[in-house]
Amino acid sequence: MNTIIQNILVFSALGLALLFLVRKYIWSPKKKSTKACGGDDGCGCH
Amino acid sequence: MSKQINVALIGNPNTGKTSVFNALTGLNQKVGNYPGITVEKKEGICKLPRGVKAHIIDLPGTYSLNASSLDENVVIELLLNKNDKDYPDLAVVVSDVENLKRNLLLFTQIKDLKIPTILVINMSDRMAYKGISLDIDYLEQELKTKIALISTRKNKGINELKELITHYKELSTEPCLDASSIDESYFENLRKAFPNQLLYKLWLVITQDVNFGKTDRKTYDAVEDFKTKSKTDLKRLQQKETIKRYQFINETLKKGQTIDLNSAKDLRIKLDRILTHKVWGYLIFGAILLTIFQAIYDWSSIPMDFIDSSFASLSEWTKNTLPEGAFTNLLAEGIISGLGGIVIFIPQIAFLFLFISILEESGYMSRVVFLMDRIMRRFGLSGKSVVPLISGTACAIPAIMATRNIESWKERLITILVTPFTTCSARLPVYLIIIALVIPEGRILGLSYQALTLMLLYLIGFGAAVGSAWILNKILKIKSKSFFVVEMPNYKLPLFKNVALTVLEKTKAFVFGAGKIILAISIVLWFLASYGPGDNFNNADTIVTEQYASENLTEDELHQKIESHKLEHSFIGIAGHAIEPAIRPLGYDWKIGIAIVSSFAAREVFVGTLATIYSVGSDEEETIKNRMAGEVNPILGGPLFNFASGISLLLFYAFAMQCMSTLAVVKKETNSWKWPMYQLVIMSGFAYIVALVAYQVLK
Repeated sequence: MNTIIQNILVFSALGLALLFLVRKYIWSPKKKSTKACGGDDGCGCH
Repeated sequence: MSKQINVALIGNPNTGKTSVFNALTGLNQKVGNYPGITVEKKEGICKLPRGVKAHIIDLPGTYSLNASSLDENVVIELLLNKNDKDYPDLAVVVSDVENLKRNLLLFTQIKDLKIPTILVINMSDRMAYKGISLDIDYLEQELKTKIALISTRKNKGINELKELITHYKELSTEPCLDASSIDESYFENLRKAFPNQLLYKLWLVITQDVNFGKTDRKTYDAVEDFKTKSKTDLKRLQQKETIKRYQFINETLKKGQTIDLNSAKDLRIKLDRILTHKVWGYLIFGAILLTIFQAIYDWSSIPMDFIDSSFASLSEWTKNTLPEGAFTNLLAEGIISGLGGIVIFIPQIAFLFLFISILEESGYMSRVVFLMDRIMRRFGLSGKSVVPLISGTACAIPAIMATRNIESWKERLITILVTPFTTCSARLPVYLIIIALVIPEGRILGLSYQALTLMLLYLIGFGAAVGSAWILNKILKIKSKSFFVVEMPNYKLPLFKNVALTVLEKTKAFVFGAGKIILAISIVLWFLASYGPGDNFNNADTIVTEQYASENLTEDELHQKIESHKLEHSFIGIAGHAIEPAIRPLGYDWKIGIAIVSSFAAREVFVGTLATIYSVGSDEEETIKNRMAGEVNPILGGPLFNFASGISLLLFYAFAMQCMSTLAVVKKETNSWKWPMYQLVIMSGFAYIVALVAYQVLK
């Protein structure tokens, strides 16, 4: 029983870690900027 | 319910806008005693008397409404676009009591846009010291506004300012200068063509060199046709406007301001003479740097050792206390060891930022910028590039964003491309651990070899940035001109609160920013190091026991052999061995190779990765440093981290482009993937070659 719970926790942690890394570096859903301040990307720098 | 008032905080750089913003909103934006801190607008809410609320927007510093850089453009875009949701009901122009004349140029321009405007005169605590006295009533009458005389340092006048903001509707919108006096016939034609538009606003649109992004273009497109005058004529008229404004300001200040020059001669002049001297200035700067690096080493060794051993004990305690199993191992060997690899560096990071913050707050950093400008010009950069290069010692990301106040695109691009060479705080953990392993602890003239090595690495980073700027200046065929004006702020005793906030903010950003990535990578790496495919991994016990059956190994020795065999055949072991041929000539083994690959996410992951890999399967309570010191070169024997491989690693990290977040910011700022890809390939390729040569020469 203990082994099963520990394995579930390990794979959950792994899943969350991978999800975090994928969202940070590979693909993240685009948020609509609410702080547009000019330019084409909402940051006023283009 | 009353409407929220939109208040724009505007002013010349280094007048204390951000301090006023913090005083009004109760927020803690970073404050520095050198120009260029605010390059984007920041927002906060201020509670005013009688339940009124103000939405405060802290805008980048600008000397006038004639934009020449991107950060100044942010100010003008907002003031010219009535449709912007942040368009101010009230402009609060923050000025510095010692530079009132120059500050009033911007004030008169904003006033002429018919926006209700309050003039804030900051740093009033220095008036007596500087022999300055002001006739506020006279100034209010001439400038047709209300004035708040405040001191954010002494927290004086803020409530009075809040009162003035509350009653902003009572302010006069009468202009300071009649715009048509610049050129009467030209403005008469303009008035006829656009009868319903504010003349001065039209004039600003006509004379700006920049594009106005989202500004209500439709309104202004028609103005394009009105650019009947040549560019030179328009510039001449712009100069005429500035002269007229200064005539008005001089006339106003003649009666409104008195300066007793005798008491104005203060310590500042004497100090500046020494600190910006062409010989003494550099020597003093060098001595300050040496002191900082020595102090970083001397002061942080005790807390670092304590943190290191605490994490080792915590890992051991977790293993012994929690039920045996995969998750317990993940906690003890992956998460705790990985996080230990970052927390250990908190003392050194905090001390570094403590010193940087004191230098900024005291006003010395502007003198450094001035000193560096002399060197920078020879390499195709300007003094303005120094601010990003110095900011780069914390993190390249805000440093690259700080290049927005460089007017010349060529200088800005070069600064963006070379800033990642400066030693950011993420490199520090790698440097510190490798220096501790391969550089002896001796001293020369009271300075430790380790501190000198660290300083040398900072100088190498700065040298690489300047050298590559020189090459880029020769290669890039972009024509642009620039000028450099640096604000020389007064020397101040650093405020404890500001220094403490900066240290806290920077350390927090380092730990939490990198901490999340390290935690995730530690989990993935632990998994890859603890699981593997095929018989070699799954039957490691049988294979190793049979292999060493003839040798009388103790139970511990046999266990170590099994764990080592498992690691070699785990997923990470297989990947590591695959890249080993490429890194072996540099003196690294496959474990270092994995740490290098994982640190392309963020450099500081290096130590955490090694801590995780070395922890997997280990039952001993051991610090990260001792684990790394105990690693043996599998081919040559002897310590894996020796002088040759250590120097090779240090140089690799000094030059390699290993930060994905920085690459993303470079893409954003240059609007192209071309430049970050060049950075990645050229910097990392150069790092590989230098590291290879260093190892082959030193081994």
